[in-house]
Amino acid sequence: MRPVRILIFVIVSLLAIAFVFPLYVAVLMAFKSAKQTFDSFYAWPSSLDFANFVHAWETSEYPKAIMNSLIVTVLSVALIVIASALAGYSIARRNKPFYNVVFLLFLSGMMVPFQVTMLPLYKLGKSLHLVNSHWGIALIYGGFGVQMGVLFFSGFVRGISREIEEAARIDGCSTPGIFFRIVLPLLKPVTATVLVLNVLYIWNDFLLPLLYLQDKQFRTIPLQQYFFFGQYSSDLNLAFAYAVMGMVPIVAFFLFMQRFIIKGIAAGAIKG
Amino acid sequence: MNSLRRSLRGESWYLLFLLPAVLLFLLAVVIPLATGLRYSFSNWDGVSPKIHYIGWDNYVKAFRDSDLWRALWNTFKYALILTLLVNVLSMALALLLDNYLKFRNVFRTIFFLPSVISIVLSGFVWGYNYSQGFPQLFSRFGIDMTSPLGNPDYAMMGLIIVALWQGVGSPMIIYIAGLQGIPGELVESAKIDGAGTWKAFRHITFPLLAPAVTINLLLVLTGALKVFDLVYVTTKGGPAFATDVMSTYIYRTSFDNFKAGYGMTLSVIFFLVLVVVTVVQVGIFRRREVDMG
Repeated sequence: MRPVRILIFVIVSLLAIAFVFPLYVAVLMAFKSAKQTFDSFYAWPSSLDFANFVHAWETSEYPKAIMNSLIVTVLSVALIVIASALAGYSIARRNKPFYNVVFLLFLSGMMVPFQVTMLPLYKLGKSLHLVNSHWGIALIYGGFGVQMGVLFFSGFVRGISREIEEAARIDGCSTPGIFFRIVLPLLKPVTATVLVLNVLYIWNDFLLPLLYLQDKQFRTIPLQQYFFFGQYSSDLNLAFAYAVMGMVPIVAFFLFMQRFIIKGIAAGAIKG
Repeated sequence: MNSLRRSLRGESWYLLFLLPAVLLFLLAVVIPLATGLRYSFSNWDGVSPKIHYIGWDNYVKAFRDSDLWRALWNTFKYALILTLLVNVLSMALALLLDNYLKFRNVFRTIFFLPSVISIVLSGFVWGYNYSQGFPQLFSRFGIDMTSPLGNPDYAMMGLIIVALWQGVGSPMIIYIAGLQGIPGELVESAKIDGAGTWKAFRHITFPLLAPAVTINLLLVLTGALKVFDLVYVTTKGGPAFATDVMSTYIYRTSFDNFKAGYGMTLSVIFFLVLVVVTVVQVGIFRRREVDMG
């Protein structure tokens, strides 16, 4: 049995190396000059040179793009969590036809591919002044996110016993009081799931910003990168330095939140 | 009367709670879907303020549109191959990284890592590796290689590899979660009864993993059918339309060729195709899970 195990270990290790390889090349490129790259492609950089990064920082609007991504992600995720927690609670606690119909509408909305709504969404956004605005794009992400969010929250609330809520009601607590003082603190695990899934999606999304945030000062990281790569396609080392800079925040988020993320995905799958 | 008013007041809080989500959903999904349906019966160019409706003409045209059939074919080719590869690889990794191998947490992190990177980035990094990195690497072993993305015969496969690299993370986690729900004694007792590793997997583990398989097939397939970013940032549907999928075809028609009305018709057709695929899939899985009782 042991040799088999070692063989499998070697195979998986090789696969892991293959998985990291493209990223390794990106980092390698980011630290080398054009001349060094030309001389020897896979050689290590002769010294740890941050010139590309400094240059990329100066020519791009990296801090602005990070800020835009942060604002858009935080606004959108806040909207999604608040709106879906409220609606999910409502749907779970009122087992009436009307609420079930609303729930089904949210579910079927998940089947609509973005391409179908893309153009009308753009037109609607233009006429409502949602284009080139952080709030505007956050409202749209909110509308996308509540569909799955309501599914998660209502499923979770159904699993919570009603007894405490009923006791509170007898003591004269109002519905909002019950929700904010009793239910909301219990929703932490499902909130983490919804949060993580949406942060990953919104931070990396390309298509909606491509439609909604074309104005330079509103571009998020993926969009900014797309234009940067187009502009500096001849200076690859610079482009790669920028690529690495774009990777750092989300990879750091992943490494710190890994346990949450993995739990979130697993929980989401079991509920779905 | 009084009690009705009181129950309404009781109800009104719940209705109010529902309101933000419903409004967001109306804004982002329902209204655009409804207007999109309307535009699909027009020859609107996407910019002019006047919209002229032409009945079913667009739909008639679509059925004779060979570009549409090519895009559909490419989309399904991409989605089916990718779904199969992602599920085979992520299940294999899950089986090995559930508790079989050492350093499994490091491996899990590595295989998940590409999924957190934006597609714009991975498209760029891979485009470069395909055109310069790999050829330089392979030339050391005397193998000539050109970028698959530049060759109509291999471009699709080149994209699928990138998508596979980015796509195994979440399914792997879902399979691991599924495996951890299977009691270890079941597999052990089967082995004591003389079942080999393969037989134990085939008759015990795999059937019990069915819910995870269902979810992963569904998630990966629907995601893959809707692919846009990866194609748009790498090949833009080329070379020679070899990677032109539905979403890039729709985007090109609506935005680059200013045929918004027709683009909407294509979108609606695509939506109907997706609905059929989802319904069929859910139907198959439901029957299969019932079969296994």
